[in-house]
Amino acid sequence: MADRGPLSRLTFASTIALGLIAGLFSGWWAITGGMGGQNYSGWYGSPVTGSKDADPWLRARVAISGLLALNRNQAIYFTRKTDDAGEPLSENCRYSVTGGPLPGKWWSVTVYAADNYLPLNQDNALSFDATEVISDARGQWSATLSPTRPENGAWASTSKAGTFDITLRIYQPEQRAQDDFASITMPKVSKIDCGGKA
Amino acid sequence: MNRLVKLALLFAAAAAVGHVALVVVTPYALMRIVTQRASQDGAMVNQFQFGPRTTKDLRGVVRPSPDLAYSTCVYDLSNGPVRISAAPTPGQGYVSISVFAANTDNIAVFDTTQRPGGVQFVLAREGQQTPPGAEVVISPSNRGIVLDRRLAANDELFAAADQARRADTCEAISAPTTSTE
Repeated sequence: MADRGPLSRLTFASTIALGLIAGLFSGWWAITGGMGGQNYSGWYGSPVTGSKDADPWLRARVAISGLLALNRNQAIYFTRKTDDAGEPLSENCRYSVTGGPLPGKWWSVTVYAADNYLPLNQDNALSFDATEVISDARGQWSATLSPTRPENGAWASTSKAGTFDITLRIYQPEQRAQDDFASITMPKVSKIDCGGKA
Repeated sequence: MNRLVKLALLFAAAAAVGHVALVVVTPYALMRIVTQRASQDGAMVNQFQFGPRTTKDLRGVVRPSPDLAYSTCVYDLSNGPVRISAAPTPGQGYVSISVFAANTDNIAVFDTTQRPGGVQFVLAREGQQTPPGAEVVISPSNRGIVLDRRLAANDELFAAADQARRADTCEAISAPTTSTE
């Protein structure tokens, strides 16, 4: 195509405006995908969350979905939005969370609604933690994520959580866990049933 | 140069500027919202604010942990350093004191496992005069947040943590001092 001469002011301005809008959209898309990071058996975490080593994209993602996160020598965070089958976590279903000893002084699993806040239910069961689960002789434990309280065991309520996600926090993690997240045996999240049907 | 190529380059340059600007500005903007809210629009700087037990109704900061008691001090170093002191929770319940700069970076963190007697340090900008012998944390920004997190997974633990944290201090200091440079 032949050069048709200098760009008109209107063409110049509208091209810049469209470019800026496209850039803002792409930036928003890049930073609103959760806390980001690598996949560890369905849980996503990043060794640089909260640290000065975070790149601008991770820093922005953490600011949106985990503002004031600690760095890894104090706490490590993993978030997942799906069960072990890859299906989105839903308040219409019940899930079993099972795991073994986790490499830290204390840990908790918390339910968050899609708006990144705690679900607006009255159950006073927003999380379960290391002090609530009962471990067997091998250190294995289980807990339930469901909209109604199970008959027994540790529980976090998903009532009014919609399509939710869960965050595992391990406080004061062991050095090996800090150095290599892949060394952590992550809890499994398996669907029990949906709408009362298996 | 072909007119379409010029337009494409202009579009790409503008898109890159928009993308990077949003990514870089977002943490500062969110931190500014949080510090303004936590300091009650700037009226409560350099002093701790003690939050209530975390419930579903806490909407100030995303993804709060319902198992922790939070206290915040919005610091302002524009008139000099600030001294931070945090008392332990009886029974050695987990306590961490973390410092976040204006860009959300976690620039320092201490806990009462390392320091069972409590946490004390001075927060300053590079070059500011600080008290001799004090442990100094250098902030890259004048403003930021100090966050006190305490294990408070039930009402009883929250009551103990709440009583202990009332001894926390976050206050501007003055001479005698030494330079951090």
